[in-house]
Amino acid sequence: MKCYVPGPNVKVLGRTVHALARFGDELYLESLPDSILLRTLNAAESAYAMVKFNKNFFSYFNYNYYSTEDNEGLKCKISMKSALNIFKSPTHMDKQVENLEIKLDADACKLIFQLKCKHGIVKTHFVTILDCKAMQAVYTKDLVPNRITSPQRILSEAISNFQNSDDQVTIEATTQSFVLRNYVDSNIDLSKIIRTQINLKSAEFDSYIIDEETTITFSFKEFKALLAFAEALNLPLQLHFETTGRPVVFIVHNGATFEAHFVLATSKADTPTQATATQNTTKTERSKRKDDSIQNTVRKKPHLETDITKCLDEDSHLFDFIDIPEDNNGKNLQSKNFTLNASKQNDLDFSNAMECDNIPASPTSKTMIKSVFKRCFENTFDPRAIQGVVLAENSDSE
Amino acid sequence: MKFRSVMIDAGPMREFSNVVTTISKLSKECVLRIAEDKLYFIVSDENNGPAPPVLWCEIPQPMFFSEYQMIGLDDDHKDIYLGFAAANLARSLSTLKSAKCLKMKLTKKQCPCLTLEIEMPSSTSQQTRHVTYDIPVVVIPRKMWADFNEPKTPYPDISIELPPLKQLRTTIDRMRTMASEVVIRASAEGRLTLQIRTDMAKVSTRFKDLKVEAFGGPIEHSDSETESQDNEDISRICYCKVDAKKFSIFLSAEQISHNRTVCSIVHKKLIILCLQTQENVKLQCFITGIVY
Repeated sequence: MKCYVPGPNVKVLGRTVHALARFGDELYLESLPDSILLRTLNAAESAYAMVKFNKNFFSYFNYNYYSTEDNEGLKCKISMKSALNIFKSPTHMDKQVENLEIKLDADACKLIFQLKCKHGIVKTHFVTILDCKAMQAVYTKDLVPNRITSPQRILSEAISNFQNSDDQVTIEATTQSFVLRNYVDSNIDLSKIIRTQINLKSAEFDSYIIDEETTITFSFKEFKALLAFAEALNLPLQLHFETTGRPVVFIVHNGATFEAHFVLATSKADTPTQATATQNTTKTERSKRKDDSIQNTVRKKPHLETDITKCLDEDSHLFDFIDIPEDNNGKNLQSKNFTLNASKQNDLDFSNAMECDNIPASPTSKTMIKSVFKRCFENTFDPRAIQGVVLAENSDSE
Repeated sequence: MKFRSVMIDAGPMREFSNVVTTISKLSKECVLRIAEDKLYFIVSDENNGPAPPVLWCEIPQPMFFSEYQMIGLDDDHKDIYLGFAAANLARSLSTLKSAKCLKMKLTKKQCPCLTLEIEMPSSTSQQTRHVTYDIPVVVIPRKMWADFNEPKTPYPDISIELPPLKQLRTTIDRMRTMASEVVIRASAEGRLTLQIRTDMAKVSTRFKDLKVEAFGGPIEHSDSETESQDNEDISRICYCKVDAKKFSIFLSAEQISHNRTVCSIVHKKLIILCLQTQENVKLQCFITGIVY
């Protein structure tokens, strides 16, 4: 694959990389015959971002430059740090850079970025390819009941009211109003934090469809990053979401050359009903709630293994008999390991994978303590009964 | 105990925000005393436990609020004392410059809170949006009220009007890089001198023709180390050595507009910086002198 990015678009690409850097530490690049996809996933697997650059984003785009017969697409994983190094200051990039050339050879171990700057300066970055994996997430964005299109300024103005220390934000969407709140965990000392609530009227948005009133909570850091991205490119932001526990999808696109999807996991607010969940949940488990919707596709390069071609045939076969709504716009994000492991899978199992409703609610940390030190919270518990029996001594004698 | 107030004018809102921002720079924690006619912001010295306040700020309520209702504990204890992190309030009020209306009230939402309801105009449409902040506060019990009384200061030897604070601040900030202590010297003839000494140099900046508000008679200089500037009457000069950093922080109050600042010096002991604005906000800062 070889392509040229014209000067003004280098800025867009730079902004994209900076936004993705706020999500994850690794950048997945995949080249398809007609587009380039950049993807990233955060460490907790609760936030995913995908940006698709169409052919016309580039001034020159040749997928077959290194004459690959591979129709599966070229994939590579690079570290986000090295990608950031190339786009150090996206604000001034369009003034300095005239052209950016990206080369990806299926057999090489480097991804080449060549920046042709003013005054004949040429900067070439050879970025080490860490892996040839691709990674995809499964989410729905088209068949969701709640859709909002917001001018980029509104939400970024609204979140400027929050404190930098806030780490989660709650959106309460009703047909009349849109309420943003900083999420307060039940075990945070209330006397330490400011609770902020912003009430926006539905009329402020470009379009506002709420079919199912809901409250969702998601990570603030990534939300800030994607809002900054939308604001920098001066493009409206679309919010697609269902209910609590299902991912919220933010879409930024300019209609022609690129489309960005940011998917954030949502969690339930702490409610007393959740105390019934007996599951012992560690922090990692909690963040993995979205496992059903985001899956890492661990897969070797196709041309390295011979028997894969067979699977690929079945792959396409599988696609034929499962009717997925996103199929038509090429955003079928069915996980690849799924197709590898079970090529004869029936569509019942598949629908199970898409069905996230039966995930048990995420227990709060409070309930975790309750289930670990269960006896202490029982009504019949008498502290005197355990006097003298020290099961675990204090670690610090002082 | 009840408190509810509404602010609608842009000018006072901006000034209120500036005052709180200045206070948040001076201290982490502060105490808000709500009285019938005034709001007081009081800052005590953080390191020294119960000590006289280092900052005392009075805000007359009729100039700022269009509505103001408060009920204290009982007839003998009419005021309300709230303790909170000054930065929390300052950050929440930072959007006040463009706001249409501010409602401030005392609420109990799981813990006592100072609730701010700010009505903001939307940048894109005619709509307004409501932003609510719940700032956790501590209601200070009656027995501790005495710690927050207005400090009794000795009668100053001289009170002199300061030059524009911005000018003064740049000067002090330059000096701070060289020495941590600065000597402030004022003469009854309207001369103000800022002086630092290092092993290598002695730097002074002089401001002339400043208005002297009051002069408490000849100063007795017992020690011989006082140097007189050419032909000046030494008995008409008094000075005090203070921490340059503390002085500089106070000078960040320059963002409060239309101010007039008077510096009162108790010879060798204390300087009192008093800033007064058109809206009758009085912000006093007490910096104790370093004895040498």
